[in-house]
Amino acid sequence: MAAQTVPLKRTAHPNPKTGFWPRPNERVVFGLLGFVLVLGTWELVSSSEYGLGLVKRVLLSSPTLILDAAITDISSGAIWPHIIESGKEYVFGFGAALVTGIPLGLAIGWFRRLNYVLDPWLSAIYATPTVALIPLIILIFGIDLGAKIVVVWLEAIFVITVSTTTGVKAADAKYHDIAESFRASNWTVFRTVTLPASVPYILTGVRLGTGRALVGVVVSEFLAANAGIGFYIALNGSFFSSARVFFGIILLGALGITLGELVRVVEKRFDRWRPAIS
Amino acid sequence: MTDTQIALDARAVQFYYEDPTTHERLLAIEKMDLEINVGEFVSIVGPSGCGKSTFLKIVNGLLPTYDGEISVLEPDHGRAHAMVFQDSALFPWYSIVSNVAYGLTCQGVPKKEAHARAMPFIEMVGLTGFETKYPYQLSGGMQQRANLARALTVDPEILLMDEPFAALDAQTRELMQAELLRIWHQAQKTVLFITHQIDEAIYLSDRVIVMSARPGRILADIRVDLPRPRELKIKRSPAFVALTDQIWSLITPQLHDDAPATGVAS
Amino acid sequence: MTAASTSLSRRSAPRRRPPPNWFKRHERLVFAVAGVVAFALIWEVGSRLGVINELFFSRPSAIARAGFEEVQLPRFWVDFQASATEFSVGYVIAIVSAIPLGLAAGWYRRLQYTLDPWLNFLNSLPRVALLPILIIWFGLGVESKIAVVFLGAFFSIIIPTIQGVKTTDRRLLDVANSFGASRARVFLTVVGPATVPFIITGLRLGVARALIGVVTGELFAATTGLGVMISRASASFQTDRLLFGVLIFTFTGILGVEAIRRVENYFQRWRPAKQGA
Repeated sequence: MAAQTVPLKRTAHPNPKTGFWPRPNERVVFGLLGFVLVLGTWELVSSSEYGLGLVKRVLLSSPTLILDAAITDISSGAIWPHIIESGKEYVFGFGAALVTGIPLGLAIGWFRRLNYVLDPWLSAIYATPTVALIPLIILIFGIDLGAKIVVVWLEAIFVITVSTTTGVKAADAKYHDIAESFRASNWTVFRTVTLPASVPYILTGVRLGTGRALVGVVVSEFLAANAGIGFYIALNGSFFSSARVFFGIILLGALGITLGELVRVVEKRFDRWRPAIS
Repeated sequence: MTDTQIALDARAVQFYYEDPTTHERLLAIEKMDLEINVGEFVSIVGPSGCGKSTFLKIVNGLLPTYDGEISVLEPDHGRAHAMVFQDSALFPWYSIVSNVAYGLTCQGVPKKEAHARAMPFIEMVGLTGFETKYPYQLSGGMQQRANLARALTVDPEILLMDEPFAALDAQTRELMQAELLRIWHQAQKTVLFITHQIDEAIYLSDRVIVMSARPGRILADIRVDLPRPRELKIKRSPAFVALTDQIWSLITPQLHDDAPATGVAS
Repeated sequence: MTAASTSLSRRSAPRRRPPPNWFKRHERLVFAVAGVVAFALIWEVGSRLGVINELFFSRPSAIARAGFEEVQLPRFWVDFQASATEFSVGYVIAIVSAIPLGLAAGWYRRLQYTLDPWLNFLNSLPRVALLPILIIWFGLGVESKIAVVFLGAFFSIIIPTIQGVKTTDRRLLDVANSFGASRARVFLTVVGPATVPFIITGLRLGVARALIGVVTGELFAATTGLGVMISRASASFQTDRLLFGVLIFTFTGILGVEAIRRVENYFQRWRPAKQGA
């Protein structure tokens, strides 16, 4: 027999950690790299005093120009009324979506026939870009705060409702037999089983809702407003003041990230008793 | 293969696990020596976390950062070794025949030929008629048959089996043990079998290697001289029971702290 | 003893259900249709009686009539074509860029780390907020809307795609490596199929985001498109035409989601059929 034994491939063990400095965290290193790379290139091609002037100031602005604009508008106080206006729309609209969307979702998940009746409507509205209704809402409510609150509410409520309904149904499928075998009353089952088991789903809906509500704020302010971050962006866009447009965009992005993180904190707080759902 | 040629020779194998966040190194296997002859059926038993599955993965080449030396027989046809995984690990998106032929397609065999070459092994494990089914349409026992056929198809010198029957119910498990012996006789392979069931190890093997709790060391290398072919009722013979007691007495002192007793008993 | 047996029989009683009658079998459909019909009737009658303000809410028959008249106007088809172009071109560009880039970012860890800050920022931002700058770049025509549709769909697709690659079952990767599969084969036979469900989720989210892009872009600043038609109807208090425009978007959304469900069924034959709806 020609066969013979051969040594198995072996690679050296990576060196254990030595020295004072911790190993560089690749995530941070490359994240910073990507961040610096984009901002650096942007500054370089721009028409700022540091740039090569390859792209007109109106088109691209530049990181330093945006920083200038931000400092100007923050120190002059010009930006605050816009932030406060958007904040009001967001808080009232999103708050209304929470107090209506969650109970509605619980009811639809709990009462089977209500689900049957409302299902076609929910599917239809879910598939509709509800921003298309903004002209109608403006027609009915005018261009005051009220109209924007309605838009924000409309944008946010459906993801919250649909996610809550899913949660109730999932809880029902999973734990219903156990609760039933203990002969719990409907109300007890709802309170001790359905509600706690639905919490992760409700929070998922709330997290999605924070993003949708922000879309509502921006679009309604684009279309009819005289204050708000969306208005600030649109107005400066029409003046071709790109630096301020980007400043407004960064404000919105920061707001979006903050709100998302906030919900994640709440999710962790409520979710200690179960592993994260993907 | 009548002469005692060596199929696997492991000398002073050590392995460290590194915690991905703290970078702390944990000794998983300590100075392990093991020699397996061609055609032998060898089992490794030991408490949970003793590094027996880790050793199998090292031999399979999945964990190349070990210390020590391992030599394997390089056959003039087929592969040196192939793994039969725990929980079957079939690709859910491939039909049974594509799953069984997977190893061949990895070697560059054209799909049609690979499927044709997979067929005899599908028959050998008793899955004829299920070729075009998807894994979810098969029971746990049948999935393990496909898992076994997938490894046999690449014609390995050594079959590495990582607790392949752990997830099966008691009856199916017994049935599969008997089936495995039949297939082993038929296919003429060297087998390295990992289990935490002592009776399974004795019933199947020529030798049972007993390992300590972490860091894993070899406590004993016990020869099983029960006659072959073995029937399931051999498990009730006095010789079998004596061997079981002997191995139990070696493992019992190892059961403490993080090694739950249920992982070894049952 | 008797008490036990009666309680036992009482409990097992519901298990011996009589065969469900027609109503029970079609309960879902009955309630759905009844809901739609009742809502339309209340709307129609309420509007005719003056309980519902016709100026703001129109009524079903008026919407139907407005739609019938609208589709006979050449202008409608110009608008329709503009919206359809924006949607399809933007969505297709998003698919052909987001899927490969998402697969690459999931596969090459360092690429993902490099892209991460920007992906997180842009994904948390309502992409429609970029409209004013897109209009400065691309003008008032279809190009700026294609851009906003693209941005809307792109992030909805790339993020689940990356997640799909990263969550590929460790055991299946071990199997492929164990049989000596090349990197390319691991990608094609394991990572790719495992990521398909995630990509489809992204495509579904992308449809909704793309439609929001079309509508917002056209409402905000455009010369043609169904959003412009809605704006015009709104400016002239033609609520019936406005709602007809909204309904077109609704149907597009439903059709899009249904089309993706077909794609999903095709790609997931290897999964046990989902039960219920």
